[in-house]
Amino acid sequence: MSKEGSTALEYAKVAAPVTEAPVRFTVNGEVHELWVKSRWTLQYVLHDKLGLIGAKAFCDRGECGACSVIMDGRPILSCMTLAIECDGKNIETVEGIAKARHPLIEAYVKNSCMQCGFCTPGFVVTAKALLDRNPNATEEEIKEALAGNLCRCGTYPQHPKAVLEAAKKLQGG
Amino acid sequence: MANNEMSKILEPDEKSKALELQDNLRADKYPLKEYNNIGKRGVRRIDGYEKASGYAEYTIDVQLPGMLHMRFFTSPYPHAEIKSMDTSKAEALPGVRAVLRYDDPELPRLANLGGHFDSEAPVLPKVAHFQGEEVGAVVAADSEEIAEEALTLIDVEWEERPFILDPEEALQPGAPLVNPEEFPDGNLEKKTVEEHGDMEKGFAEADKVIEFKCRRTHNTWIGPERPCGVFRWNGEYPEVWVKQQRPYVAKRVVASWFGGIPMNKIQIHCPYQGASFGGWSQLEWNMGGHYCAAVVAKRVGRPVKWKFNRREDFYGGEMDEGVYYFEVGAKNDGTITAVRAKSVMANQQYPFGPITHFADNTRIPNLYGERLQARVSKGPTTAVRCEQNPNTLPFSLVFGRVAAELGLDPIEVALKNDGCEGEDMAWLDGYKAAMGFPVRDSLRECVEKGKAAIDWDNKWHASGMKKLPNGNMHGMAFTWTHEWDDSAGSSEMAIRIERNDGTASILSCRADCGLNAETAYCQVAADELGMRIEDVFYRQQNDPGFFTMSPDSSTNMSVNGFAIRNAARILKRKILEAATAPKAMSQRGSYAPAFPGMKPEDLDIKDSVIYVKANPSNRMTLAEFVGPSGPAGPMAVYEFGEGAERTAFTPPLFAHGWQVQMGSYKEHHRPRPRLCRQAYFIEIEVDTETGDVEVKNVVTVNDVGKVVNWEGCEGQQYGGAYMGIGRALSEEVIHDPMTGVMLNGNLLNYKFATMLDIESIDTELVETGLGYGPYGVIGIGEDVGTVTPGLLIPAIHNATGKWVDELPATPERVLRALGRA
Repeated sequence: MSKEGSTALEYAKVAAPVTEAPVRFTVNGEVHELWVKSRWTLQYVLHDKLGLIGAKAFCDRGECGACSVIMDGRPILSCMTLAIECDGKNIETVEGIAKARHPLIEAYVKNSCMQCGFCTPGFVVTAKALLDRNPNATEEEIKEALAGNLCRCGTYPQHPKAVLEAAKKLQGG
Repeated sequence: MANNEMSKILEPDEKSKALELQDNLRADKYPLKEYNNIGKRGVRRIDGYEKASGYAEYTIDVQLPGMLHMRFFTSPYPHAEIKSMDTSKAEALPGVRAVLRYDDPELPRLANLGGHFDSEAPVLPKVAHFQGEEVGAVVAADSEEIAEEALTLIDVEWEERPFILDPEEALQPGAPLVNPEEFPDGNLEKKTVEEHGDMEKGFAEADKVIEFKCRRTHNTWIGPERPCGVFRWNGEYPEVWVKQQRPYVAKRVVASWFGGIPMNKIQIHCPYQGASFGGWSQLEWNMGGHYCAAVVAKRVGRPVKWKFNRREDFYGGEMDEGVYYFEVGAKNDGTITAVRAKSVMANQQYPFGPITHFADNTRIPNLYGERLQARVSKGPTTAVRCEQNPNTLPFSLVFGRVAAELGLDPIEVALKNDGCEGEDMAWLDGYKAAMGFPVRDSLRECVEKGKAAIDWDNKWHASGMKKLPNGNMHGMAFTWTHEWDDSAGSSEMAIRIERNDGTASILSCRADCGLNAETAYCQVAADELGMRIEDVFYRQQNDPGFFTMSPDSSTNMSVNGFAIRNAARILKRKILEAATAPKAMSQRGSYAPAFPGMKPEDLDIKDSVIYVKANPSNRMTLAEFVGPSGPAGPMAVYEFGEGAERTAFTPPLFAHGWQVQMGSYKEHHRPRPRLCRQAYFIEIEVDTETGDVEVKNVVTVNDVGKVVNWEGCEGQQYGGAYMGIGRALSEEVIHDPMTGVMLNGNLLNYKFATMLDIESIDTELVETGLGYGPYGVIGIGEDVGTVTPGLLIPAIHNATGKWVDELPATPERVLRALGRA
């Protein structure tokens, strides 16, 4: 193996030397201030530093949706987002969605939307972001929104059912 | 009657019944008369809230104070030997706490590093036999980032060796050796032959002989949680967090290290597991990370977490990669007279040949299967949902071909050949009757349900005959097999009634891989004990020292179900016996029974309430019965003389149950005919311009004998369908033929099914009671994901009239079959 530039890490070191900076962001309504390295992803900071383990690294490179969180109202992949760029942001994780007693959680339990459960938080977050912006989402729209979330256990058919149920509940149904 | 006298009478009764049930050929003789929770829809999942809310902790999430992060060095070559290694720069990197090398004197030459069976393997190999293999060195550092950086600072002088990726090429005369260490005589690891009947006669009786070939390429498990683990020494005692389907086996492996560690000094945790479908947990080296972590943790005095990255989880794969050749004789009416098959397999771990399923569940009298197990320069393979892939694929291909070539409905061909070990259905019916099973025709029942669900009679057509208005060709296919859950193994579980509130806790450690099995065991315990489902709980993550089967050896409920049922029955007797005996005894005498003057058989338990059968208003809840433990501990109220009020403290209510059950592998035991059948239907469209296959509808019909947990069964059905469709159409690990380097070790380029890849799935469950497990159950977890891939080749043929001869049936391969590529 060549010595230089042979790995992504080596490349990153050449391209962007490691720096450190303070960031201040809000997670589930709580303000956090911490120093982060320039290479740290938001997923790493949430998971390893803040103990919010619901943001899962399944693929670790933006391919599966398991690390999804909502940032300023939009679902994002926290493994593809650098923490250093999150200064001033408002972040909502699956734990926050559960704490707020969002009906999605109970609908997910009732519809058995999880098997091994590793990818489940990512689905819940994506679905929550969808319902926030489209409370009347149709089954097709739900499928389209969740199509980027991968589940190896194949729980797929249950998710639209749960999201429709939660949507109904949110509207007082 | 005193407690211990009663237990002499009652307890052995249940035990002797349990022992009697170990006659593995018979139907369950002691099912329940009434089911309240077993088979009931809508039982709340025990793990549901934790998993949906993100609070569920997996092994990879575990963080301990002072924990180091460990990463492995991996081979850039598919076959190469380390001649020398310089780790000095890595060791000098700030934050690196230890570098363990292959030549470290602390490492034994070989150690037991797990696997389906105990294995002996080098902890840090010096020779790599596939690109990406963990070899040579491992680095532990304050952060994963530093460990990664240190790996790039390791200098290795390699001696590259020749490699081979294709199993047939590996068996060519003069082919270079791909693993001279283990197989110095050649790349043929093993040849096996299975033979039944008279092949010459079988082919002579045939009206038509069909010959064909098919290839299945390398595919793998993709565990959402990557291989990982945490090892900590609490002084002399190991504490281990495993990502392992079989935590007890992991404990036994750890016990074999460092000259031997007593089992009772090892603490094992098995947090939630991001599934690996057999996969990783079954491979020989899977405890190698723990071994290195144990050595480093001892040296450094800190806990160590090791973990693979996503690419490294593509360590090996399912054991169905190979080339399959067939010669099939059939009569014009669809009766198959002979099957001759040969498979040339790549790194296949277990000796499952291409005709096993024909023997297991057909009346075909003449069978010959030859299997060549070749070594190639790829990772090891194992049972990845599951070891039957090399059998079910040939089965589906042969039945699909025979029906299509003879112009018959594939369902008729299946029904005509259904049977067992060369015997017909009349023989099988006789067996069912003799062994106490209901005489039901499982395949016919499955087929009827499935045909109705997919509208087979109206939609099925001859091959290549139906062009849709959108220009696509419409295709349908059917396949079938038996359920191969061997209902075999040993398992022990226990139940304890808690003080204060009388709730029940199930005790045993097993891996939760998402099957909802823990809820199912609670359903069994609740019904057996007469308790409400919400009063029974099972958290499977900590080890009480029992050997409980995990998703393991193709068996779950059909053995563990007996273990938990036996425990529950013994415990129920204990409760009723305690309720009629003096409640407690101490130095100051004994207390009146909760139900004075009654015998245990006068009482029963329902909805967590003990009541008198002849007078149900005479009742006491279990919580009242066990009573409070007392603010200062049990007996305190009485012993310290705080008045005459006597504590309601009962004897400990705990029972341990177990089951030892023989399986049906013919080589080792009496053959046990397979009784439950499974039927699979598919409807597809093929775009003949692009080669794209769209899956419109999958109908999976599974005879599980008896449903315990509906949602769990259905989860295995649609989940298996998605895995099967991925395997059939897109799942393939690709290696560069020039360098032997794996090219697609990520989720973007290794494509498994997404939500949009199946338009509709219909799950149908059949309950014939024909399973060998408790209440007539048999498994479901492996069947669907394993059998459905074989549907696609006959389905594409039904659509286009052409045979695809390689799986996955990618658009390129479909176009090639159509003569367009």
